Amino acid sequence: MDPTQAGMVAIGAGIAVGLSGIGAGMGEQAIGAAAVGAMAEDEKFFGKGLLMTVIPESIAIFGLVVALILLFVF
Amino acid sequence: MGISNAVKYAYIVARVRAMKSKLIPKEMYPKFINMEIPEITRFIEESEYKKDVDELGKKYKGTDLFEHALNQNLALTYRKLIEVSQDEANFLITEYLRSWDIWNIKTILRGKFSGATEDEIFEDVVSAGQLRFRDLTEIIKIGTIEGVIAALSGTLFYPALEGFKGDLAEIEDRLDKMYYSNIIEAASASGNKLFLKFLRTEIDLKNLKMLFRMKRAGMERDETLKSLIPGGLELRDADLARLASMSFAEFVRALEEFSYWKAIADISGELSSLINIETRLDKYGLMYATRISYYHPLSILPILDYILSKKIEIDNLRIIVRGKETALPEDIIKAHLVM
Repeated sequence: MDPTQAGMVAIGAGIAVGLSGIGAGMGEQAIGAAAVGAMAEDEKFFGKGLLMTVIPESIAIFGLVVALILLFVF
Repeated sequence: MGISNAVKYAYIVARVRAMKSKLIPKEMYPKFINMEIPEITRFIEESEYKKDVDELGKKYKGTDLFEHALNQNLALTYRKLIEVSQDEANFLITEYLRSWDIWNIKTILRGKFSGATEDEIFEDVVSAGQLRFRDLTEIIKIGTIEGVIAALSGTLFYPALEGFKGDLAEIEDRLDKMYYSNIIEAASASGNKLFLKFLRTEIDLKNLKMLFRMKRAGMERDETLKSLIPGGLELRDADLARLASMSFAEFVRALEEFSYWKAIADISGELSSLINIETRLDKYGLMYATRISYYHPLSILPILDYILSKKIEIDNLRIIVRGKETALPEDIIKAHLVM
């Protein structure tokens, strides 16, 4: 792989992780706010709130997987 | 709605939904009717009202304690909503809860007009609006209606109060109209169409109740129109004028063209009882608020739904306890409950 190609792959991997992280963050902010609101009223919502808050994390993991494929498969 | 607005509503809506889950389920009301007052009081003491009952337990006893604890809880709950909300939600909740300022001003004026004692007036005051309990305490201590009005000279509602010439009904109508005109202006300025629609439906239901009362009392068209609030969703000014000039039977028939008819359609053959009609209309308002709050989950509507549900819970509890205290038959108590 020539240096230009390697650079493009690295940039692609960075974009994949970065954008998926931003997407996950946007999803989590509303869910996190709602979870905190529900927990403020009733501590029993801690487990459910935490579970719901981490669901958008899967998007960040998809981004990471794409980045790893880019870096190590190509 | 932008993302940041959705986040702000997500917090308050989740909180309000959790608060709503703690309201007394409607299945409990028939059980309360079968209980004695001490049993109901014990239940209330172990519920969300515990803190209020404990706090006021030294000062009041029996049904007075019950009444004051409910009022305090309502005021603190509404105040909490203002404190935990932000930006648009905070603005809209504050504006909406000004209706309690109107309620308090009306209660104090009615109390002074009828010569009620300070304690009797205190019993019905709910400091959930912008007038704090301290302010209300000072105002209640004033002996005359003129004095009360003068004490309110710095408030938003003074224009409706000044020029009082002994006609309390006129002032009450002016206060209601002023509240709705101010809040519609605020809702329009905020651009929140959902809030505006909710308010205009509330105006329709208030006007319908007023029309039923006026028609039953045989009031003249002009007198009826004076008490109606402009700005409704379905009942426009022209409709109100038309309905106000009809006889009771014509008025009931004319209601069939509006969607509110379905709230009272099943009792259309027996509209002799105003209680039944008003309870049905209140229930319609509550169901409407709940329904639209599910259509727009991240908006002001779930909060308004909670505000309404909480008020109805307090009203129901008060009706049951006061009804039991005066030994009213169960059927009559049940007819007054919104559930």
